[in-house]
Formats: sequence, structure tokens, C-alpha cells
Amino acid sequence: MLVVTLQRDKCIGCNYCAELCPELFRMSKKDGKTVLLKSRDRKGFHTINTNEIHTYEAEQAKKACPVNIISVKTV
Amino acid sequence: MIELMAPCGGWEALQAAIDNGADSVYFGVDQLNMRARATMNFTLGDLPEIAERCSKAGVRTYLTLNTIIYDHDLSIIKKVIDEVKNTGITAIIASDQAVIAYARQKEVEIHISTQLNVTNIETVKFYAMFADTMVLSRELSLSQVKKITEQIVKEDVRGPNGELIEIEIFGHGALCVAVSGKCYMSLHTDNSSANRGACIQNCRKKYTVIDQETGTELAIDNEYIMSPKDLCTIDFLDQVIDAGVKVLKIEGRGKAPEYVATVTRCYRKAIDAYYAGTYTTEFGKELMKELETVYNRGFWGGYYLGQELGEFSSKPGSLATQKKVYLGKGVHYYPKAKIAEFKIEAQSLKKGDKILITGPTTGVYETVAESIFVDDEQVAETKKGDQCTIPLEQRIRLSDKLYKIVEA
Repeated sequence: MLVVTLQRDKCIGCNYCAELCPELFRMSKKDGKTVLLKSRDRKGFHTINTNEIHTYEAEQAKKACPVNIISVKTV
Repeated sequence: MIELMAPCGGWEALQAAIDNGADSVYFGVDQLNMRARATMNFTLGDLPEIAERCSKAGVRTYLTLNTIIYDHDLSIIKKVIDEVKNTGITAIIASDQAVIAYARQKEVEIHISTQLNVTNIETVKFYAMFADTMVLSRELSLSQVKKITEQIVKEDVRGPNGELIEIEIFGHGALCVAVSGKCYMSLHTDNSSANRGACIQNCRKKYTVIDQETGTELAIDNEYIMSPKDLCTIDFLDQVIDAGVKVLKIEGRGKAPEYVATVTRCYRKAIDAYYAGTYTTEFGKELMKELETVYNRGFWGGYYLGQELGEFSSKPGSLATQKKVYLGKGVHYYPKAKIAEFKIEAQSLKKGDKILITGPTTGVYETVAESIFVDDEQVAETKKGDQCTIPLEQRIRLSDKLYKIVEA
């Protein structure tokens, strides 16, 4: 299982994650920051458990994030 | 009189700017400003208090909304501009046409950002359809600046408010190795766009050049070849004002509150001296000594005097002659007796030490610890863990931070 976490308040809205991993990330039209789709918010850390099929794209998004707020783990 | 504009990265710096004589302040909220990385950015909810504090002090407020804008940002910029309108923030600093168009539609005053690199009178005339104040490119010389300000008067170039266009320039602070705001180095190496306010400042590092064919490393005479010294105009401020500049802007929303306090205070003194007729280059040079006490990479006059190019820093980071050392936190202030109580959490405080107190309401307060008491006994030095009291003229607050200032 793949666990992806986003520390959303620090997002600067650069769009890279949504570009590289559109299955998991989408830019919010409301506040201009990224949204980790279907995630749960725990004190600002938004997390989803998802299929490992997304590993490559999620890793790409993590690598591209200029403010290092995406973490990707296989458990 | 020329307007002095100070940078504010947080409440401490805002109060410091007000207390030290700024005529106006500029600041960002959330992610859409050129210091998006700063953790201390204000939020949209802080705008009413900023507007209130500043209007009480007679200080104008400018909100930076000057990154490049994507489609997904369009609704948030509208929200921010609406909030600027509602809370009575004086103006926005903008570069993207989407921001300019919406602010104009809402009749919010617009200032043109350095991101648009205004370098000639025709560009000034173009943006005069939308904006009242424009910052000129940092890469112009003062004689080029003067020509532009003279043309504004001659051709009667007026902004939406009906007044002549006011020209603003950067007076002090960091310079960019690229043409201001047009750098993509950070984006190319780290995906971190300077134009979205996320510059990682890789120009400030040391580099060597390697010949790819032979692998030979070339030694570069100046190791910080991409890191310019900081801009400082205090020793030729008379020429700046004579060039018709109406607003002098200090760079540094990422800098500490005592930096804002010192730089604002020095330029205030210089400007006041100019209008009192007592300003001299020597006086400017004296003030420069004071400016050297806070963060700097060494000073030069930028491109304003048309000197040969490229003054680069000799060291990474700051050449400041003083630094602050954290000591502890404020606990209480007894207003009648004018005594402040602190808890010392690190290092020690000696009698006669220069101290610095910062806080969101206190701003920046520098003084000398003339006498120190622990348990009502006068002591020469405190230890870690002590709860000490110091007689202080100015009120401090709970959780204000106490530092001592030492030679660097």
C-alpha cells in the first residue's frame, strides 16, 4: 500500500504535483493550493492510503515539489 | 518629501517599521508574493489589524501580489483584492495583468512591481492607465531615472487618481545577479521558481567552472561570482532625491525585525537631514557604519551611479558587525515601577550588555541593561534558569524575546 502525505498549508501553488501526478493531486480553484484527492486532514497533514500503482507518479511529484511538503511511503 | 517604504515579514518588523519612522510598509499574505517561502507571512485574516495599526500611526500599507499568476490562482487573487478593498489597505503591488485588471476594476490603487522592469517613459505611460506609482528597474542609472521623472512632468503623465505618476526606486537591500525578478536559475536547478516567490538563492553559493573535455577545474578569482553586494544609497541620497524619486523602498521582507528597525531609522535620519539642509556625504557614510551592524553582504551603490559593473560579496552570508544571541523570554512588566521581568533560558546576561527585545506588539527595542536583579538582589551576571528583572523605560510583553547584542 502507498501512503501519500501533503503538508498543505505550506503549498505555494506551483502546480508541479498536479502536472506530474494528476491521479492524486489537483489544484484548488478556491485557494490556489494543491489538493491531495480523497485525503484526510490531520492537523494540517493530509494523508491517503492508495494503490502502489501510483508510486512512480507520486515519487515524481515528491521530487519536483519546491517546498518539500509531499511524502511518499510504501507500507 | 520622499516617502520611505519599509519591508514587513511579520508583526515584529511591522511595529519596528512604524516605530522607526517609515512612511509606508509593504508585506505579503499567503503564497502569492515574492517571499512565498517565508514562514512568517501574514494571512488574509491579519489585514484588518495591519490596516488599523498602520492607519493609527499614519503609515500607508501596500500588499504585494506580484508573482506570476496561473489559472488556478485567479479566484484567490480576487479574494485578496476584495479583502484589500474592504479593509482599507492603501494599495497593491502588482505585476501580472490579471491582478492589475481586477484591481483596476475594483478601483484599488495599484503600484507597479519591480517584476515588470519598467525602464523607459513609454512603459511608464502605458502602465499609467492602471497605476499611480511605479518602481523602476534596479538596473537603471540615476541619470536615466531623472530623465524619466522629468518626462513625467513635461508630458503630464497622470495615473488613475489624477496625480502625476510617482516614481519609486529600491534604496537599500539585496540585489539579484539576474535582472531583478527575471531569474530562472532556482527554477532550473530545483524546480523552485523565483517568480513564484520561492527563490532558493543558489546564486549566493560558491562555484567552480569545469572544462567538460579535460575535466580541468578553473579557479575563479572571486569565488562568489554570482552574489552581488547589497545596494546602499545612503551616501548619495541627495542625488537620489534630486533625480525626482518620490518613494524610496527598502528591500527585505525575509529579514529580521532589528534589520528593519536599523535600516528604517538610518534612512529616516538621512532623509530628514536632507530636508533640513544638513545632509552631507560624510553624514551618509557615518550612517553606513550603523547599517553595517545588521545583515549585509557588503555595500555598493548598485547601478545608480553608472559605475563599472559587478561588485561581488567576499563571503557567504552576512558581513554584519554585530549579531544577536538569544537569552530568554519576557515574563511580566510592572508599568508603575518600569521594571521588566525575564526568564533566562540560554547564555548569560551581564550588567552593561547591549540588549534587544522583540515582539509582535513591542516591535524592536534596543537598550543597555544598566542594572540586573535576581530575587531582589542586584547581580553582575545572570545564569541560565534565572528569573531576572531589569529596569526598562519601554513596556515589554509576555513572550517577547530577549537577546544580547555582541560584536560579530
